[in-house]
Amino acid sequence: MEVKPHYTAISPVLGELKWIEAPSDSLLSKQLGWIDFLKKEWMDKFIDIRQGFTAVSILWNTPDDQQAFQNQIRKFKVRPFDLPSRTWKIPVCYDPDYGKDLGALAISHRMTVNVLIQLHSSVTYRLHFFGFLPGFMYLNGLPNQLHTPRKSVPDRMVEAGSVAIGGSQTGIYPKESPGGWHIIGRSPITLFDPERNPPVWGVPGDQIKFEPIDIEEMEKLLEKPPFPQY
Amino acid sequence: MNREITTATVLKTGPGSSVQDLGRWGHASFGVPVSGILDLRSFHWINHLLQNQKNDAVLEISQPGFTIQFDSPTSIALAGATASIKLNGQDTENSGLIPIKRKDILEIGGISAGARIYLGIRFGFKTEKILGSRSFYEGLTKISQLSKGSKIPYSIDSGATPIYNAKARWSVDWYQNETIFVYPGPDFSLLKENVKEKLLNETFRISQLSNRMGIQLLELLENELPELPTNPVYPGTIQLTSGGKLLILLKDAQVTGGYPRILQLDEESQWVIAQKKPGDLIQIKLKKL
Repeated sequence: MEVKPHYTAISPVLGELKWIEAPSDSLLSKQLGWIDFLKKEWMDKFIDIRQGFTAVSILWNTPDDQQAFQNQIRKFKVRPFDLPSRTWKIPVCYDPDYGKDLGALAISHRMTVNVLIQLHSSVTYRLHFFGFLPGFMYLNGLPNQLHTPRKSVPDRMVEAGSVAIGGSQTGIYPKESPGGWHIIGRSPITLFDPERNPPVWGVPGDQIKFEPIDIEEMEKLLEKPPFPQY
Repeated sequence: MNREITTATVLKTGPGSSVQDLGRWGHASFGVPVSGILDLRSFHWINHLLQNQKNDAVLEISQPGFTIQFDSPTSIALAGATASIKLNGQDTENSGLIPIKRKDILEIGGISAGARIYLGIRFGFKTEKILGSRSFYEGLTKISQLSKGSKIPYSIDSGATPIYNAKARWSVDWYQNETIFVYPGPDFSLLKENVKEKLLNETFRISQLSNRMGIQLLELLENELPELPTNPVYPGTIQLTSGGKLLILLKDAQVTGGYPRILQLDEESQWVIAQKKPGDLIQIKLKKL
């Protein structure tokens, strides 16, 4: 049975759909279903839609648009969106040269570096949405054994392409940035290119798999950072 | 319309000066912040005075000492913060329209009220448009702030502009008020009653930690809330960080965040807060929807 999300008006023109459940593939397909519905049925009524793990927010053109949506929400029949089946292969060099926290993280989890790499690169992750920085993907699916509290003192500078673990998440820094996650490797791929339309290659619902590469391959790919393949 | 393009050259600037327009809407789904003007009231006033298009780009300046030279005739307009202004070394009006001749040098001196000065120009500044906006943002536009020697393109206007309201006064009373109006944010209900009371009854100060991404308040609040799933945030969202800091997000803020989103500023209060400087006091008042 489809449980309807709760809609809350935050300001006269801003509101959000909220689900009281943990992030999952099934919740994501419901969120994407609502976004698809909004884009088809309410296209000229909103300025902006934003998506998080358990909410979808809508910035309306006018207070009347929000009011109309709220008045009719009970009647809407919104089908969950079928998640895409493609899986992007993301090359990652898990070498201490690129993953400066790899050793310490392995020790803190009482495992070898090889087991850590194996755990991180053996599963597929689901791309839920972009946020934090242009092109930063929020991924779900980090194995429990790798969940790690964020650093108490963030690094002043994390290199672009750094693959990192923070809390129950893993992600890739699309550009140089301060950051509080543990750096375990680096990917040579381009995550965001403002000259391209769209500037990112993935869409919410896509799957991501990290593929270990050695230093030689990494250096070759860094000369001409590619977009990934699926 | 193809008008001849000329340039203005920045001779001196503090950190954080930028070109801004209404921002980059519709790209949040790629993680792109909206950016754009913080104090929209001053921005609209300037483009109105100059008889510009609504979205014509202006300069946003938050440090005294900004000096710029124009290569060709035009008209400019100033609004936002109040500062002493010199044109070719002579004191001049610090708001409203200012006619500019070839090689004129404009200097922005000490700021006496507000935090951000807006400098608009006839037909707008013509820096590159990325994803539909000229607003500077690191990693998107080629430069993320103006520096000494920066050349900013604009269109020549040899004085055909009828200056119909050159004497219109710019009042700054509207941002002198300490009251900031807010709506309850999506996570407001998670706060304990005594924390809500403190939030809505005490006076808070703007800290030094303030930039286009956000303004941090000096006073701390108790925070016993758990870390929440990352969800959407907007300009004007007030987050309560794990250390109990209150963070008011501005236009360059990220599009999603994991801290509780306890309040949402109403639109005009976002313009007011943009004109507050470190040390200024604010009182938060709840507004009914």
